Amino acid sequence: MATALPQQVAPVATHPPRGRRAAGWANALFVLPYLAMFVAMIVVPLAMGMWLSTTKGDLFGVEAHVGLANFTRLFGDPIFLETVGNTFYFVVLTVPALTLIGLGLALVLNTPARWATVLRTIFFASTVLSVTVVTLVWRLVFLPDGGLLAVISEALGKTPIAFLNDPELAMPAIAITTIWWCIGLPMVLFLAALQQVPRELYEAAALDNAGRWTTLRRITLPAISRTFVLVVIIEIILQFQLFGQPQLMTLGGPNNATRPIVLFIYETGWRQWELGYAAAAAQVLFAMILVAAMAQYVVASRKGAQ
Amino acid sequence: MRSQNRVAIALVVIAGVLMLVPMLWVLALSLKSNAALMVDTNSVFDGVFTLENYAAILGDGQVFRWIGNSLIVSLGMTAGVLALSSLAGYGFARLEFPGRNILFVIVLLGLAVPEQAVIIARHQLFSWAGWHNTYPALIIPGLAAPFGVFLMTQYFRAIPKELDEAAMLDSASRFTVFWKVLLPLTIPAQATLGIFTFLSAWNDYWWPLISATNKQMFTLTVGIASTQMNFAQTEGLGFLMAQAVFAGAPILIVYLFFQKYIVQAVAGAAGR
Amino acid sequence: MAGVTLTGVSKRFGGVAVIRNLSLDIAAREFVVFLGPSGCGKSTLLRMIAGLETVDEGEIRIGDRRVDTLPPGERGVAMVFQHYALYPHMTIRDNMAFGLRNIGTAADEIAARVEAAAQSLEIGHLLDRKPGQLSGGQRQRVAIARAIVKQPELFLFDEPLSNLDAALRVRTRLELAQLHQRLGTTMIFVTHDQVEAMTLADRIVVLNDGRVEQVGTPMDIYLRPASLFVATFVGSPTINLLPGKVSDAGGATLVTLADGTKLQTAVSMAGLAPGDTTIGLRAEHVRVAEGGAVEARARVVERLGERTLVHVELADGSPLVAEDAGISQARAGDTVRLAINAAAAHLFDADGRGHHAAG
Repeated sequence: MATALPQQVAPVATHPPRGRRAAGWANALFVLPYLAMFVAMIVVPLAMGMWLSTTKGDLFGVEAHVGLANFTRLFGDPIFLETVGNTFYFVVLTVPALTLIGLGLALVLNTPARWATVLRTIFFASTVLSVTVVTLVWRLVFLPDGGLLAVISEALGKTPIAFLNDPELAMPAIAITTIWWCIGLPMVLFLAALQQVPRELYEAAALDNAGRWTTLRRITLPAISRTFVLVVIIEIILQFQLFGQPQLMTLGGPNNATRPIVLFIYETGWRQWELGYAAAAAQVLFAMILVAAMAQYVVASRKGAQ
Repeated sequence: MRSQNRVAIALVVIAGVLMLVPMLWVLALSLKSNAALMVDTNSVFDGVFTLENYAAILGDGQVFRWIGNSLIVSLGMTAGVLALSSLAGYGFARLEFPGRNILFVIVLLGLAVPEQAVIIARHQLFSWAGWHNTYPALIIPGLAAPFGVFLMTQYFRAIPKELDEAAMLDSASRFTVFWKVLLPLTIPAQATLGIFTFLSAWNDYWWPLISATNKQMFTLTVGIASTQMNFAQTEGLGFLMAQAVFAGAPILIVYLFFQKYIVQAVAGAAGR
Repeated sequence: MAGVTLTGVSKRFGGVAVIRNLSLDIAAREFVVFLGPSGCGKSTLLRMIAGLETVDEGEIRIGDRRVDTLPPGERGVAMVFQHYALYPHMTIRDNMAFGLRNIGTAADEIAARVEAAAQSLEIGHLLDRKPGQLSGGQRQRVAIARAIVKQPELFLFDEPLSNLDAALRVRTRLELAQLHQRLGTTMIFVTHDQVEAMTLADRIVVLNDGRVEQVGTPMDIYLRPASLFVATFVGSPTINLLPGKVSDAGGATLVTLADGTKLQTAVSMAGLAPGDTTIGLRAEHVRVAEGGAVEARARVVERLGERTLVHVELADGSPLVAEDAGISQARAGDTVRLAINAAAAHLFDADGRGHHAAG
């Protein structure tokens, strides 16, 4: 079994150290295929998106360069501003709940016992489902005519509520759906952090007569505080990108009450074909996410400093 | 203190049951005839079940086309990501070439770019190329995700350099070092990255939604979405639910088998 | 068999010179040990010979071939690494065969060589296992066997014993010495452990800060250290160094210590200027003895079994290590008398160069 492949990039034997420079360029061949994809699918579209956001155009091409007009229009567009508000509202509904429930589950389930293993499997299971399956399931829960909640309230002798058609209740309903779908991730992130807490700390605390509550407050929580912040930021980034749930469950209604920024971008781009305007909205969202991502980087890189 | 602990466990067990209830509800509905559900969904409690909805799916064929599409796209993307990320990870971790460090930093910055910031222009690019409604259009955007390169670079860096050196003294070429010595050692990372990529591709919604507009090119995720669009008027509630089960069950079964890797992959991708 | 010649070799990492204009001749069939503290450049030098580091200046020859421009695989060398560097996913057999396969050796020849090497190192029963299933000592043997199958002109060892426990290290040391006798191949061995260097080497190359401090046989290095650095690095316990003043006493040298003690050494005055000097006395030449000329106070007594080390303080407070018999009466706090064998003393001039008794 001799070497099956030709020696593409072996150092040139005859004339280093200059030969090694030449081999240096050959070494770049390993990263070239990926870099080509990266440039074509991320760098170019990113730059092009920024350029598009300064144009007015449709499916058939750019009609005019309008400078920052799309952005001024966005900030005067009541619908866009409403979607920004809706997005923040959704983040407020989901992120604290996901973080705290995830932490609670992790604290209780951080044991090798069999029942805990089963429960961890259950809580993470919904994470692997696609948004279309998740929304299908939950529409059949919220459906006023024969949905699970309707059946239950009828059994209790009450009138079923049309959650998804009520401007007050539609967003909380989507938030519940999302928490059900996404609870696995914060749980496993907290579990991973809890596993990292040195056992000696707990043994030392026990020798110091610390009770369960004291141990949790003075040992466990401080030890995972960095993870706590990371989970919050990760969830903010993820939930900021809310799209499929309202698109499939409510179409942004009733009366725009559940329309988030991404759905606005999607509809502006692919329903009204105002690509420049949609691209501008996308840049605004990108800027918001970038702020959160930078916060994540700062927190993550503080790891080394500790 | 003991009792406090027990209350917490009881709460978590109840929450676990609540997690399962919606799934069981859908499963039960999928086993009822459409006619029975038209009258009243309460009928799920009458104990009469049927497999006619699943029979209808098998007879329909459309879902199978979508599953086939999803398989092609997910497997294609997984293979592509593994190949590109392994090559690039080895390159960034082990080889010297001009501009290596700055290129790696740029790729890492790519992690912060959300899909929304590029999707409009991407869609335009594929329109100009006339590639929409093809498999390459569904696969190629996924190949650019920086996460795989990041993961593989980290993994290659963790392999002792002595191994490369031993292989070089054993007259191995750069490619032999990569292919025969280092790559076999990255199999755990390949598994993690492969499963994560497959899952993301399988569940991806927005890009296939706008790229595959021809029903024949729908992935399963988009196909299921298309059937629930006119949901309120649907007369085939049981059929719809059977589709949901049909779409969700395989991935749940895969999850039960590869749970460890999947949890690792998802947590790793988030906590990068 | 081939010797190794280094001529004016230099290496820098960034702006830092790691090897400075170093020249060295290693004879064919010789066992040479590079000895020095960490950071002295000994491993870098070995890796330059292997081809794992580039050479910035100078020339390396193995036999009469210039090799510093060749890739590692074409230099005819085999290396045993500090952490063994066995390929974890390959069986021991494949580990040993990998290098031969890469150069297209015939399959039956590979099989024969692997078999022979496995026989000689008694690892025949391990051939179908993977490295992860082996103990540290077994991995060490496999690493050596993998080097042997290549039938190289030159063996390179990079601190290969540092990961073994003490007993295994002694055994493997002996086996390496036997291996060298049997194969008669040129070997270069890098270590920071003076015992390994003393026991294995035909010649020791003491390196410090990228330069050769001294090249010589083990006894040369021990008995005639070329510099203060070599004197302090080799020998356990560390040589006693005391400041003193040199004066001429009829050809031989008289040293006066700070407390007034006068020592008549056997070092020739030729090449030494009168004035400040450092005198070096190994512990075995400072013995605790009833009628000794020098009085000192014992601070710590270390009983090693076959001998006893007594850490003492002279009248002026300077510390000294003296040796006593295995069963010693000395106790900490005692006043003891020391008999100093000044004829065995080493003198070091202001530049740190060593001067020794003739012969």
